[in-house]
Amino acid sequence: MVQYNFKKITVVPNGKDFIDIILSRTQRQTPTVVHKGYAISRLRQFYMRKVKYTQQNFHEKLSTIIDEFPRLDDIHPFYGDLLHVLYNKDHYKLALGQINTARNLISKVAKDYVKLLKYGDSLYRCKSLKVAALGRMCTVIKRIGPTLAYLEQIRQHMARLPSIDPNTRTMLICGYPNVGKSSFMNKITRADVDVQPYAFTTKSLFVGHTDYKYLRYQVIDTPGILDRPFEDRNIIEMCSITALAHLRAAVLFFLDISGSCGYSIAQQAALFHSIKSLFMNKPLIIVCNKTDLQPLDGIFEEDRKLVMEMKAEAMKTVIGQGGEPTNEEGVLLTMSTLTEDGVIAVKNAACERLLNQRVELKMKSKKINDCLNRFHVALPKPRDQKERPACIPQAVLEAKAKQAAEKEKRKTEKELEDEYGGAGVYSASLRKNYILANDEWKEDTMPEILDGHNVYDFIDPDILLRLEELEREEGLRQAEEEGDDFEMDGQELSLEEQEALAEIRKKKSLLIQQHRMKKSTAESRPVVPRKFNTDRKFTTGRMGRQLSSLGLDPSLAINRARSKSRGRKRERSVDKREGDGGDAMDIDDNQASKKLRLRSTSRSRSQSRPPGEVIPGEGLKDSAQKIKAIKLAKKSVLKRNKNARRGEADRVIPTLKPKHLFSGKRSIGKTQRR
Amino acid sequence: MRLEKCWFCSSTVYPGHGIQFVRNDAKIFRFCKSKCHKNFKMKRNPRKVKWTKAYRRLHGKDMTQDSTFEFERKRNRPERYDRNLAENTLKAIKKIDKIISDRASDHIKNRLKTGKVQRQKEARKQLELGIHLVKAPLALAQDSSLCLPKIKVNVSQAQTEENQPMED
Repeated sequence: MVQYNFKKITVVPNGKDFIDIILSRTQRQTPTVVHKGYAISRLRQFYMRKVKYTQQNFHEKLSTIIDEFPRLDDIHPFYGDLLHVLYNKDHYKLALGQINTARNLISKVAKDYVKLLKYGDSLYRCKSLKVAALGRMCTVIKRIGPTLAYLEQIRQHMARLPSIDPNTRTMLICGYPNVGKSSFMNKITRADVDVQPYAFTTKSLFVGHTDYKYLRYQVIDTPGILDRPFEDRNIIEMCSITALAHLRAAVLFFLDISGSCGYSIAQQAALFHSIKSLFMNKPLIIVCNKTDLQPLDGIFEEDRKLVMEMKAEAMKTVIGQGGEPTNEEGVLLTMSTLTEDGVIAVKNAACERLLNQRVELKMKSKKINDCLNRFHVALPKPRDQKERPACIPQAVLEAKAKQAAEKEKRKTEKELEDEYGGAGVYSASLRKNYILANDEWKEDTMPEILDGHNVYDFIDPDILLRLEELEREEGLRQAEEEGDDFEMDGQELSLEEQEALAEIRKKKSLLIQQHRMKKSTAESRPVVPRKFNTDRKFTTGRMGRQLSSLGLDPSLAINRARSKSRGRKRERSVDKREGDGGDAMDIDDNQASKKLRLRSTSRSRSQSRPPGEVIPGEGLKDSAQKIKAIKLAKKSVLKRNKNARRGEADRVIPTLKPKHLFSGKRSIGKTQRR
Repeated sequence: MRLEKCWFCSSTVYPGHGIQFVRNDAKIFRFCKSKCHKNFKMKRNPRKVKWTKAYRRLHGKDMTQDSTFEFERKRNRPERYDRNLAENTLKAIKKIDKIISDRASDHIKNRLKTGKVQRQKEARKQLELGIHLVKAPLALAQDSSLCLPKIKVNVSQAQTEENQPMED
């Protein structure tokens, strides 16, 4: 519909912005680089392109403006008049005309300069031509700057105009200022119009919507009209007049009976008569408002007469429409917006009148006849006079009745819950409807897990039978097992044999250990050969013990070992002290040998050898040599008198000026001191 | 609530323990602890990992086939509740448990029997061969039993008076 386009008009930029937009676009969208070395045709082409591009853009934008703004002659006369009233048709047309001229001027400029550019002979000349062209175009735009601003204002105002559909069902509210038009509007629609005690609170048209009989009605609230000659009216009043003039609507003329609007009934009646020409062919209702302050019956005679005259006029419109002259009620109504008394009645009456009028008109027009031909309600032709009502079998009826009864009787779980205290208090027993062999089992809890098994896996109706079989099997098996075990025990070792085995293993492991130790050290350290007995473990006592542990009698072996060993000086001197000068080596002498034996058995660590005594195997010839060797050894160990001379422990500086301390730069820091 | 079996080691997973992994083909793997879970993530085959039940069964270490396994089977058909049946089942579970553990231990004992016999034979042989380390051949000739010889201690009066030789 036309009115919605007012919101879709593109923004009109102001003069400077317009120029900026177009020029920057030219700069971005056309190539920018050119050198004077290029071919002349290329240079000309470059600059012609720029000029043409700019002109095209201007043309486009100005064309959109011209096209989008509505032409006052092409739109609905209501809007045309409204716009004229608001913005002055002439100014509006002039503005658009100016835009058009500007557009043409720009085209001309561009054309001329392109013609000149075709013959430009240098880069500089082409460039100056282009600069001139663009400059002139921009000047044109600058000149129409105020026009653009004016159009922008109009556009903004137009976008905010109320969206009135001139062709749909409309109700128009008119009357003097302050009679209660806006309050009525607020009551019947969802519009929120300002209601204030001063006149001309409503300064423009307001639209609201209301419903009646499943149809949507537009309700238009107008600013108040004063009784003045037509020429003297201001813009605001002209709005209402325009609306009245052009919209095909039901008119509700509001009358303030109490006179609290500041105007008497006589004045209002005068206004009525002056604009009654506008009520031609429109269903008219006279509404007497503010009856809470002054009821209709209580007014003065003159006023009453005036009101009746108005009513008579209104009746004429009813009759004029060819309708029934019956509805006197539908012409003059009373209400009070404050007490909301009669408001709905007024609305209904108005809507009804309008609807009837529109239907009548539609019926009279040619189009409706075509439609009517397409409708047909089919009714089966009655065959005979017999009545045939709907037939429902008795059983179905009974079942339905029973179902209904059951629904009432059975108590639902929810009801139970509510009865016993609500959701948190009562928990329904989910098991109460279980079907079990014995009803005592309903609340049983069965364990799910036992000893690491799931009980449900074992449940079987014949578990007892199977268990019996199993136990029988087990009994048999156990008997067999025992039989087997018996045979096994013969082969075990006795306790003593186990001891012997343990000893054997211990000895073996010891031997292995010693061997390993010897093996590892033999290569790295020189070992004293066994015959020198350094750790003194080859004693007869030991030998005796070892032999007896093996089960042999050691006494013979010990005797033999002792008799073979050489006696020592010390024993002989003991013999000499006893005064026996005889050969102490006489073994056959029992006494001597006894003493020898005694001495040799008491060989203990506490006895030391004389200093010069030569031990066989040491490597020294005789005792003199040994003594000399000992002396030499002692001399070599003698401590030297160093007499405070520098020794090994005294500090020595090997190099007095090491290079690394006296040269080189530091990576960080100063080298002031070294 | 159900006790499940760990997929890796086959031990029972109690409620609140372990991890369940659902693969894209909707197969569920349950694990009793992170050890099993991590082994699974490493893609180890439980049949090759020594401490799992799968390995033990496969290599004959544990009992595999037995009639007692038929008692514990997941049945999908629900049975109507019967208190007597429930009682009997609970008692039966205990008995069956005992039988199963008996049989399992017998199985292991039988398995280890051959080793025992072998070891005894070896011990006997070792004893025979090594008796010379602890018993002199002379003593062996006198007393041919394979045990440690009896030590004869010569106690002479004279020696006790002198200072006793120190023990090595």
